[in-house]
Amino acid sequence: MALTKQDAIEHARKDLAKRLNIDVDEIHESVEDAEFPDMALGAATRGEMSGQMITSGWRIRLSAGRQNFEYRANKNQVRLYNYKGKNYTVD
Amino acid sequence: MNRNNFIPHLALALVLILVAAFAGQLRKWQKQWRSSISIVPSASKTRQPVDEKEILREDFKRGEADILVRFRPGVTEAAIKQITARLNDEVEDQIEAVSGLESIDDLDDDVDAAVAEYRALPEVEYAEKNYQIELDHAGGGFKHLHPEDPRFVDQWALANDGQNGGKEGADINAMRAWSETTGSDEVVVAVLDSGVDYNHEDLANNIWSRRANLDPYEDADLGVVDDEHGYNAVDNDGDPFDENGHGTHCAGIIGAEGGNSIGVTGVNWKVRIMPLKFMNAGGFGTTKDAIEAINYAIARKRDGVNVRVINASWGSTQRSRALEDVIRKANDEGILFVAASGNSSTNNDRQPHYPSSYNLPNVVSVAALDRNDQLAQFSNYGVRSVHIAAPGKDILSTWLGNDYEEHSGTSMATPVVAGVAALILSQKPNLAVEELRERLLKAVDPVPALKGKIQSGGRIDAARAVGIE
Repeated sequence: MALTKQDAIEHARKDLAKRLNIDVDEIHESVEDAEFPDMALGAATRGEMSGQMITSGWRIRLSAGRQNFEYRANKNQVRLYNYKGKNYTVD
Repeated sequence: MNRNNFIPHLALALVLILVAAFAGQLRKWQKQWRSSISIVPSASKTRQPVDEKEILREDFKRGEADILVRFRPGVTEAAIKQITARLNDEVEDQIEAVSGLESIDDLDDDVDAAVAEYRALPEVEYAEKNYQIELDHAGGGFKHLHPEDPRFVDQWALANDGQNGGKEGADINAMRAWSETTGSDEVVVAVLDSGVDYNHEDLANNIWSRRANLDPYEDADLGVVDDEHGYNAVDNDGDPFDENGHGTHCAGIIGAEGGNSIGVTGVNWKVRIMPLKFMNAGGFGTTKDAIEAINYAIARKRDGVNVRVINASWGSTQRSRALEDVIRKANDEGILFVAASGNSSTNNDRQPHYPSSYNLPNVVSVAALDRNDQLAQFSNYGVRSVHIAAPGKDILSTWLGNDYEEHSGTSMATPVVAGVAALILSQKPNLAVEELRERLLKAVDPVPALKGKIQSGGRIDAARAVGIE
């Protein structure tokens, strides 16, 4: 089923809370519409290939304490971008 | 007969004979005139100035023989006559060069209905309207073909007349190319992507289908796969239906059916699109599945399917030796591999993007242009590793569910070049892959913005590619 912007934000917050082992209420967010360079939202994981079509979505910036994180999402997927040097898809 | 009436009757008969003879001659003259203008005039083969374009425009109209029908092998002449008689039609001529191809007069004068009737018959391989080119000006000049498809006016990549603020002539010169060839259903282009909506109204007639005498695909691990229209490496089955839209868009750029009064037209009006699915509904997939799908295309080539081009509108910055090896194997089988240069606005000579950056003799790496002949802001480039450019911004093509959408990316530029490769092959089916690649890279219009940015320094020109200088 297609994700809404709010769905994507919730997925991202839950994912980060789990990774940092903190409560979701401790996470702050800012979201902007964005265009990504490809269909993996410019955040391909290892061994992954993606369609080279400009893709609309949302850039979700989350912060917890002094740390900042970037999630990228569209109606099909949510990805964590450049987390400790790697990209991740969020289930 | 009353002797007094004999002379008037004789005179009347003579007059009628003369009228009939004159009408016949008129018809012959008319045919001669029409056939004489269906050849590219040799007088002017250079591109005309922009302001002459309008007066040289040609329309694409229906001719005298209404339909071209190719019957399947084994359908006898007697059977063909029976079929045409049953449909209240007449065989006008047999096209000897192509077995089973007949031109047919539709006596009911409802050509669209007649084409549909023939297409529905099991004895028929394909049926299409017969068109005739008519110059709407007196004098010479080069030919253009103008398809009837209603959204053609929005396809600036094929014919840029300055619509929506574009630069007139910043296109691939498709209308001129089509006066030489509009493609061939003998040429198979594999669209290695998210699959293809093979039921789309503007694609269905150009989708590859496994012929009856070709056994289903057999894989040592997967067993027998019923590959009616291609292969799905995501689910390991024979249904490559697109759940994303990206592959359907690329397929339409290569070969949305032209001249059918529906939607858009592809670079090829007729071609065979073989859908190969390795990307999921999100538009991404694994290297391994891409390899499996290429392996399928190679296997089918070895089985006699004329797969000559693979379109690869995808990629990443990660190098895979295995992917490189299987593309090299495709080269050995005579398959051209046309790949997107990538959308990171970066130089591929320094930061390679794969598979377009593999230094293989069958790989063509494609950059994207906008409607003003500028390198698209997102497009990768590289004077050593990116070979050619094509329109890739705001490109209208087919989308899921009989829809049409505009999208941007080197994904959209790549099938333009793959499509032109197929046009070349429709003329020269036996061209070796290295000759095909060389011909493509030489068939460019120099574009100042590309000088020093990509290897050929130009935009693909379909007319040059098919031999019109």
